[in-house]
Amino acid sequence: MIGISTGSAFALVGIGMVLIHRTSGIVNFAQGSFAVLGGLFMVRLVDDLPSGVAGLVTVVIVAVVGALMGLIAVGIRGRTTALASLIITLGLALVVSSLELLEFGDRPHTYPAVSEHAWNVRGVVIQPQYALVIGVTIAASLLLALALRRTIVGHALVACADSSRAAELVGLNVRTLAMIAFAVSAGLAALGGLLVTPVVPVNYDSDVAIAVNAFAAAAFGGLGSIGFAFVGGLVLGISEQLVVGYVDPQYNLAIALVIMLVLIGWRSRHEVVT
Amino acid sequence: MRTAAKVVVTLAAGALAVYLPFTLGPGNLTLYTLMGLAAIVAIGLSLLMGFAGQISLGQGAFYALGAYVVGILATPADLFPKGRGLDPLLALVAAPLACALVAAVLGVPLLRLRGHYLAFATLALHLIALALIFTWESWTGGQIGLIGIPPLEVAGRTVTGEWHAAVVWGIAVVTLLIGLSLVASRAGRALRAIATSETAAAAAGINVAGYKLQLFVFSAALAGLAGGMYAYLLQYLSPDAFPLIVSITFVVMVAVGGMGSLYGAVLGAVAITWLQDRLQQLGTRQELLGFDLPVQAPQVFSIGVFGAILIGVMLFFPRGLLPGLQELARRARRGRLGTLAASR
Amino acid sequence: MSALLEVDELVVTYGPAVAVDGVSVELKEGERVALVGPNGAGKSSLLNAICGLVKPAAGRVRVDGRDVTGVAPGRIVRRGVTQVPEGRQVFPSLPVEANLLLGAYGRDFRREPLLATLRYLRRRSAIGERLERVYALLPALRELRARPAGQTSGGEQQMVAIGRALMAEPRLLAIDELSLGLAPLVVQNLSAFLRRLNEDEGVALLLVEQNALLAFELCERAYVLEAGRTVLTGTSAELENNELVRRAYLGGGLEVEA
Repeated sequence: MIGISTGSAFALVGIGMVLIHRTSGIVNFAQGSFAVLGGLFMVRLVDDLPSGVAGLVTVVIVAVVGALMGLIAVGIRGRTTALASLIITLGLALVVSSLELLEFGDRPHTYPAVSEHAWNVRGVVIQPQYALVIGVTIAASLLLALALRRTIVGHALVACADSSRAAELVGLNVRTLAMIAFAVSAGLAALGGLLVTPVVPVNYDSDVAIAVNAFAAAAFGGLGSIGFAFVGGLVLGISEQLVVGYVDPQYNLAIALVIMLVLIGWRSRHEVVT
Repeated sequence: MRTAAKVVVTLAAGALAVYLPFTLGPGNLTLYTLMGLAAIVAIGLSLLMGFAGQISLGQGAFYALGAYVVGILATPADLFPKGRGLDPLLALVAAPLACALVAAVLGVPLLRLRGHYLAFATLALHLIALALIFTWESWTGGQIGLIGIPPLEVAGRTVTGEWHAAVVWGIAVVTLLIGLSLVASRAGRALRAIATSETAAAAAGINVAGYKLQLFVFSAALAGLAGGMYAYLLQYLSPDAFPLIVSITFVVMVAVGGMGSLYGAVLGAVAITWLQDRLQQLGTRQELLGFDLPVQAPQVFSIGVFGAILIGVMLFFPRGLLPGLQELARRARRGRLGTLAASR
Repeated sequence: MSALLEVDELVVTYGPAVAVDGVSVELKEGERVALVGPNGAGKSSLLNAICGLVKPAAGRVRVDGRDVTGVAPGRIVRRGVTQVPEGRQVFPSLPVEANLLLGAYGRDFRREPLLATLRYLRRRSAIGERLERVYALLPALRELRARPAGQTSGGEQQMVAIGRALMAEPRLLAIDELSLGLAPLVVQNLSAFLRRLNEDEGVALLLVEQNALLAFELCERAYVLEAGRTVLTGTSAELENNELVRRAYLGGGLEVEA
């Protein structure tokens, strides 16, 4: 069950990575940082505000941070290359990480789960927090998919991903749209982070592991498919949890990645993997 | 610059680079050696990324593999149970060979992947390598590490300190020359064609898969060789020496120095290594500019400031330092002569 | 009254390479003008500079007398100039109708997506009317409205691109390489459509075209560009009869007398 929760968090962060990449062509190394920020802010706010409100405020704050980071990552018009943007996101992740260290220290942080009483559904014991995580993840993913296909801003975001040149010609402001993508992705990642922190405490350097998992989940769909990122995240979370009992914890991530590689390899047999 | 001119310049600068260790103090010597090691890996990676267009976030894995091969083969059994105690030079030769072999085997399925899939797969490679280091404890010493690696010995002479640094930079210079000749050759043109468009290159009859694999193997071997020399430098290995950031840093070096430029790769390697060292030192001081530094300062500095500098460099020199500086020079020249339009 | 489009001594460079070397073009309201010339002559660069995708190194672009040199593409669209880009460049993931709607949305986007969205929602009926008009002009698109644009044929994609450009209600439609990769019959139909569009709706045309014959057929005037410079200009009739033009672009000089 823990696996599904962490998997959901990976899925949300991974979906955000896909969104950013599809809109601006940037691979956002700082996706993990957004999740960690979500967790850490929540830890701070949950003392003073009811959880729901704290969660909302956290998501909004991190979304704003995300928009700012997006502005920097997109860089200077006509000058910043895709690789340069990638390294800028790396730099941003490092800066955020060091600020977290300064503010929160290097101990893991967590906050109480939504309820200590487990539900008993026909003999299956389910912790409410886990249900919350997977429930919110599914809802958020569906909402995003819907927004992209039905709203005009969603269309604009997809258009940027398809052809930024044509998008510009039509009059769309590609940079602003990239910032929107960053903001939404940051919010999603923060949501994933704050939901899973009661289950898995978060630390200033958790962003690396989360970013790698998110990248893996996103890579499952070639960084182009939200659906695949969703599935990929869950697969990662569950497979990492499954091996926890049997092998050294150092193995978890590696095994999950091997599984991911096998899956990608299997997919590539049916299509050209570009 | 014509290739012949480049070779001359490289040899001249290389001679200087090899001589330099003998003039440096002990404190700077290690740093200089590390720069050289980074340069070797960066050159190989630059060929892979800049000229063949393949991204690898896993050079650190080969770096580690080379180091551990040397560690296992060269360390005598009384100091480390599984050590083979072989001739250090032999062990050093084995390092790149082992990496080449692994790269050849893994490269076939790996290189069928493109773009982000390849980036992810190579990243995973590094993490898997780390996991293996932990698991095969008897061979690698696990978390505790592998101690007692003897120094490099060539023809009965111990190669340490300044000589070690000189050898490292010697290897770097040779690598640079090989790279230059590769770029200028027909193979180089084929590689550039592949980087521009694989389909077009394949249509032109270029053996795309073959070239990619060869280059992947070559860059892995270079990383392995550097890793081997690294083992002789530290004389002690542990997985802490090869975190994921190492692989990422190699890519950063190439990008910061200048993609598609071998000199750029060396520049990037030197600059980043120097920067990381400076920041680490600044962070360990008790106070800076009159402010008391908090206890986490070393990390905050090396992580945070490093990140900030990366952002700045990439914003102002998106193609890398070397191309950026060349562009500035060109603009300065044109400024003095006036624009083409005005001179008509 | 100033011309609809005035380009003065435009220079476009890419690093050290000069793509456009001091070209001047004029286009009046409702005219059909072509830019002809071989590959690499700088025609597309000129068009991109006019439409704001590329910043010129020197020279001026004026629409309706107003200076729009180097301005962002969105603002050019709002001044009434839209482009049908080379190779169509539709949005393949989106259904055809979404492609068209974005043509209207982009015009109102300005800087704030929020404002643009509000404006879009408020003027949904007006935009709906525009959509209907485009469907009336290009009936085939109505059939394809739900299909992802990437799953349509080359000719259909060209129609989508044209329709998308028309959704912004342009006064000047710039088309880059209309005939590229399309079957001759399809090109004929599109050409006829563009002519009708110009005559009935008064939309001016600026056609960049390698196929000189097509260009002279469709347009009244033309500029011949080579290596970034204007070498000839005149009415289509004049140019068609010009010896140099015939030999270079119309395969002339090989007339076999029976």
